Amino acid sequence: MYFLMVSILSATPYSPVHPVTNVVPLSLVLLVSLIKEAFEDWKRFQNDMAINNTLVDVLQDQRWECIPWKRLQVGDIVRVKQDGFFPADLLLLASTNPDGVCYIETANLDGETNLKIRKALERTWDYLTPDKACEFKGEVQCEQPNNSLYTFTGNLVMENQTLPLSPNQLLLRGCSLKNTQYIVGAVIFTGHETKVMMNSMNVPSKRSTLERKLDKLILTLFGTLFTMCLIGAIGSGVFINKKYYFLGLEKGVEDQFNPNNRFLVTLLTMLTLLTLYSTIIPISLYVSIEMIKFIQSTQFINKDLNMYHVETNTPALARTSNLNEELGQVEYIFSDKTGTLTRNLMEFFKCSIGGEIYGTGVTEIERGIAERNGIKLQEEKVTNAAHEKGFNFDDERLMRGAWRNEANSDACKEFFRCLAICHTVLPEGDESPEKIKYQAASPDEAALVIAAKNFGFFFYRRTPTMVYVRESHVERMGKIQDVPYEILNVLEFNSTRKRQSVVCRYPDGRLVLYCKGADTVIYERLAVGNDNLKKVTREHLEQFGASGLRTLCLAYRDLAPDMYESWNEKFIQAKSSLRDREKKLDEVAELIENNLVLIGATAIEDKLQEGVPNCIETLSRAGIKIWVLTGDKIETAINIAYACNLMNNEMKQFIISSETDAIREVEERGDQVEIARFIKEEVKKELKKCIDEVQQYFHNVSGPKLALVIDGKCLMYALDPSLRVMLLTLSLNCASVVCCRVSPLQKAQVTSLVKKGARKITLSIGDGANDVSMIQAAHIGVGISGLEGMQAVMASDFAIAQFRFLKDLLLVHGRWSYLRICKVVTYFFYKNLTFTLTQFWFTFNTGFSGQRFYDDWFQSLYNVIFTSFPVIILGLFDKDVSASLSKRYPELYKEGIRNVFFKWRVVAIWAFFAVYQSLVFYHFVTTSSSAAQSSSGKTFGLWDVSTMAFTCVVVTVNLRLLMMCNSITRWHYIGVGGSIVAWFLFIFLYSGLMTKHDRQENIYWVIYILMSTAYFYVTLLLVPVAALLGDFIYQGVQRWFFPYDYQIVQEIHSHEPDDSRTELLEIGNQLTPEEARSYAISQLPRELSKHTGFAFDSPGYESFFASQLGIKAPQKAWDVARRACARSKPKVSKKEKR
Amino acid sequence: MASSSAGGPGSGDAAPPRRNSKRPKYSRFTQQELPACKPILTPRWVISAFLLVGIVFIPIGVISLFASQDVVEIVDRYDSVCIPKNFTNDKVKYIQSPGSKPPCHRILNVTKHMKQPIYVYYQLDNFYQNHRRYVKSRNDKQLRDPSSENDISGCKPEDSNSRGVIVPCGLIAWSLFNDTYNFSHNNQQLKVNRRGISWKSDRDHKFGKDVFPKNFQSGGLIGGGKLAYNVSLSEQEDLIVWMRTAALPTFRKLYGKIEVDLQKGDVINVTLGNYYNTYSFNGKKKLVLSTTSWLGGKNDFLGIAYLTVGGLCFFLALSFTLIYLIKPRQLGDPTFLSWNRGPGGH
Repeated sequence: MYFLMVSILSATPYSPVHPVTNVVPLSLVLLVSLIKEAFEDWKRFQNDMAINNTLVDVLQDQRWECIPWKRLQVGDIVRVKQDGFFPADLLLLASTNPDGVCYIETANLDGETNLKIRKALERTWDYLTPDKACEFKGEVQCEQPNNSLYTFTGNLVMENQTLPLSPNQLLLRGCSLKNTQYIVGAVIFTGHETKVMMNSMNVPSKRSTLERKLDKLILTLFGTLFTMCLIGAIGSGVFINKKYYFLGLEKGVEDQFNPNNRFLVTLLTMLTLLTLYSTIIPISLYVSIEMIKFIQSTQFINKDLNMYHVETNTPALARTSNLNEELGQVEYIFSDKTGTLTRNLMEFFKCSIGGEIYGTGVTEIERGIAERNGIKLQEEKVTNAAHEKGFNFDDERLMRGAWRNEANSDACKEFFRCLAICHTVLPEGDESPEKIKYQAASPDEAALVIAAKNFGFFFYRRTPTMVYVRESHVERMGKIQDVPYEILNVLEFNSTRKRQSVVCRYPDGRLVLYCKGADTVIYERLAVGNDNLKKVTREHLEQFGASGLRTLCLAYRDLAPDMYESWNEKFIQAKSSLRDREKKLDEVAELIENNLVLIGATAIEDKLQEGVPNCIETLSRAGIKIWVLTGDKIETAINIAYACNLMNNEMKQFIISSETDAIREVEERGDQVEIARFIKEEVKKELKKCIDEVQQYFHNVSGPKLALVIDGKCLMYALDPSLRVMLLTLSLNCASVVCCRVSPLQKAQVTSLVKKGARKITLSIGDGANDVSMIQAAHIGVGISGLEGMQAVMASDFAIAQFRFLKDLLLVHGRWSYLRICKVVTYFFYKNLTFTLTQFWFTFNTGFSGQRFYDDWFQSLYNVIFTSFPVIILGLFDKDVSASLSKRYPELYKEGIRNVFFKWRVVAIWAFFAVYQSLVFYHFVTTSSSAAQSSSGKTFGLWDVSTMAFTCVVVTVNLRLLMMCNSITRWHYIGVGGSIVAWFLFIFLYSGLMTKHDRQENIYWVIYILMSTAYFYVTLLLVPVAALLGDFIYQGVQRWFFPYDYQIVQEIHSHEPDDSRTELLEIGNQLTPEEARSYAISQLPRELSKHTGFAFDSPGYESFFASQLGIKAPQKAWDVARRACARSKPKVSKKEKR
Repeated sequence: MASSSAGGPGSGDAAPPRRNSKRPKYSRFTQQELPACKPILTPRWVISAFLLVGIVFIPIGVISLFASQDVVEIVDRYDSVCIPKNFTNDKVKYIQSPGSKPPCHRILNVTKHMKQPIYVYYQLDNFYQNHRRYVKSRNDKQLRDPSSENDISGCKPEDSNSRGVIVPCGLIAWSLFNDTYNFSHNNQQLKVNRRGISWKSDRDHKFGKDVFPKNFQSGGLIGGGKLAYNVSLSEQEDLIVWMRTAALPTFRKLYGKIEVDLQKGDVINVTLGNYYNTYSFNGKKKLVLSTTSWLGGKNDFLGIAYLTVGGLCFFLALSFTLIYLIKPRQLGDPTFLSWNRGPGGH
């Protein structure tokens, strides 16, 4: 807008410059940004089209018709097939499964992967086929669209019959259908009215904080501009006087110079100066930055081999290019658990039977600890190649019946039977070990049953009363027999009991209760005696827990038949009671679940994504705090926090949970208002207590690190405005925070709490639809791509395949981007300020008339051509330390968090040197040109002097760029050299040509006159050096006495070759032959990598070394050209040194 | 690092070219591994850079200063002296009064041998030739091309008068400097060559050979010098010189050349025609006689600047060396890393 205004102004007679010179760069800049926007919009449009055009079967004229999602309307009857996603919120009418039941996976909504059951109303079961379904007539009355995922109330009115609807009949968009051939449903909400979409907040347009700070800088520049204009304008009002008769001020003077109206003169000169100084606002800054970021994201981030995931064939994807440098300043990461940190894969990993640990696996976390201690773990390459999903266990002592030879083989037998019998898993499919599939409420259970199968206790069939297990090697090696167990009672798992028991009768009549559950509850109920086993097993449990494994204790109890009978009566009574059935059942269960005999413990690995603990460790060393926000249970969440290194036993934990007795008691009373009030009080109390403690720890420095665990219900109240501040202070003091049982919206609220409350830069990472709102709420949203379910990726700004790539994304790309953008911005600021200030100083010597110092075209092309290219090169190629060093010294990242490179102090230093340099330019050039400048005695005019000054400015500003580079590639030389050459070419042409349409031949032949004098060369050497002297001293002193961290790291590794290459060697083996060759060539010693600029002249140099290594390198024309470049280089680099 | 690759697939299954692999192609550009030199500003570099600048600059400074010292320059301010005594309180009135003014006599002493050519300059002060209204008040087309005679855009207010368009139009031409100098030495006229005082490019291209002055200085108010109507603009060199507007309000312009040597002790009589009005705005007028060197006229600035920068660099090199010796900082000392320094250390 501003530039438009200036362009308009420049078309008025008040302008000192020609309008065309203002309009051309402006339109150039606009054009470039227009093209970029159009390109990004087009890509977004394509994505939307892809989703909107997904096909779905809709009932039309008694047939199923395929129509795209976007044409779906409320009231349509749709058919969704197995594994398909629901296109809208549907009312389940009928399913191919008996009883109108269907299974859905809600991983996209809440991250839980266990299947959930939805049941259609009995009345609608029949509408399965098209001809039936088209008879369906009904009216659905329901609540307004809202964002609550777990509630739904409504009525279905059919033939004057009102049937109540519950969440049980609702299929939400984003879920997918499992284990059901197809279902038929009626569309209730579509598009933005669906609950998923209501949960996702409006897509905020994201701009990086750095850019916002940049706006402030621009505003400051505007302030400077107006101050300068004001000074100049007042000066002009004072200056103008009839005594300067040569200005012709006697009669008929236009307003701007009319000495009789000084006020008007001031006003109009203001406008003049506004256009004159307009160069202080860098017109091409935004465009340059956008261009740089665009290339950074499309070329660097998207194509980084380090972030390419081979298994899923997914490269990283930057969906927006706005936030690259934001990646370099992240302080808080909010991570989803399932699918992000973990693979959502439970694997039986270890066990402890009768006081003996089995299982040789090493968890990621153990590996991490060992690595930190410097112990090299023997690489267990041979993780039994054929291991099944859910079973990652290898121990010769137990497998293939070998357990029979163990000392405690009886315990082993009980252990395996417990695993095989005590569960609620449903077998599915063929009854052979290879093909069977288990349907379990949780993947843990399935993993345990699979483990039993692998140990030779193959559970293959379940009837309502029986469990069939095919047991191998029990009586003697190799013998296989099918054993039916009668299941008498199942005491189910719930979160208060934390255990599950099964009473079964052996074929031989033995009555056994098998029980598995959390160690705390099992240990309470163990029979007295055998303390040694208990102790050892407890130690094992702790060991497992510390390795990040999920543990369960197994126990059994032999029951006497009469005792069982009496208990069973009570149980049946409780089961048939109408009031408080749950509670009574629990009480009854309590009666029998005691006097247990401990068998052992299982350890299941909630399989983490590859490299997660290492990545988290690195990130926390980089000063980034990681919060886990998950829909999981509190125990699971804590467990994962342990597994990921987020928590350890040295940490002081604060747990704020709603699962306390006091709260439960109030909840049972059922008064909603009372519950709310009470929980709020509780939460407040807890928070206060924690904060007090925190304060204590804060006072003594060496206190332990703190961790906060809070669950969703408490969070709901803690996020209340009155408690929010407390929550924030508490959580900001904690090294890690785990929020469990949180809804998608709460995830977003927590994110924005930190974003807005603490004003820190936040990043959210997640993979499912339940993370969408969080991803959008954070400064940066990162989606995990490569798996099914694209919602998170669609909402994200960056998509990566694995959590561990976050390390590359932040520490390498983010840091570099931040560094580069900072440099680009400050450099832009500097070069424009310097340039404009020379103009400003000149104003003082022109009677404040607003006469331009430089020719119009110099002025407008300065930004667009003479100084723009090198800075883009800088923004693309500058790197302080190599990628591997960035990861090796994650602490370097802290410089970004502290925003070291774009503080006002940094800007002020640049500004200071800009003033200094402009003074040097102006005064050196003008003072030295006061006398004759050539031996012919002729003197210079205005345009000679200004061209001289402009040449100095262009040269200096470009060399200054080289001075601020950390690494100088040949592109830098091309850029800087090219810019200077471009200037000379331009001036040679511009001053050499005289056309008919020339406005004023100010510049005619000027450069030739200048270059004919010795003065030109003497000044050209003096002024840039004098101007850069200040900067050079500053840089030298700064580096010497107050070095930045990265500078020290540079120094430490200055003598090493670029070691990112050694790391890439791994990638080397994935290269195509052609790439491998170019890669191998890149490994060769190279003249350009040496600082001295030493150049080999032997033409066969490259091919010689290459052929030694068995690589054929074609001699290319550009090789020669490049070598030529290398030869001309030393001259440039020498100048830069000064 | 090595362990992280363990999970990756062996090269075996990755080697066969997969058609729809999305694996980015390896290139050093996209992997940001372009070869680069990484200059580190170590103290040694800093010191040697300073030394280098010092070594290069001081000789240049000395040479420049010598060149400037070689130049002999005689400056004589005459603006107030050349006003008759009875007009000292009203100089403007004197200079604006029509009619011929008595010549003014000045005596210049040559203090040093001056080799020919000796350049004669006039120097004006407080004269804003770079004022925006002034700078744009000309029309280059008109100056160059006789057929564009009527092109007087931008020339206001001196574009035309009652007799028609003015050639050359505009304030610059109108305010042409018109003091005259005549030199004599031992009662012998010193010839002042007023040819070849302008840049050739101006003469040949900017001022037309067949453009002649017209209606010049014939309006009500006379700004300055007049031009001979029968001499083409390209030969009116004093106009050409004048119209190459100066950058600063204090400027020198070439008046002519004296093409004989002047000896030390010579006394030169100058007969001045004092016509030009700088009195309105309190501007000084100076007459300058100067020889030149390869670097131009007398200007110590360049030499001093070179010496200063060079000397400063030497000084800095020295002090940096001292600091380097007294309190060296081990390069790449990890204890300097901020996270190793601990919270207490600055």
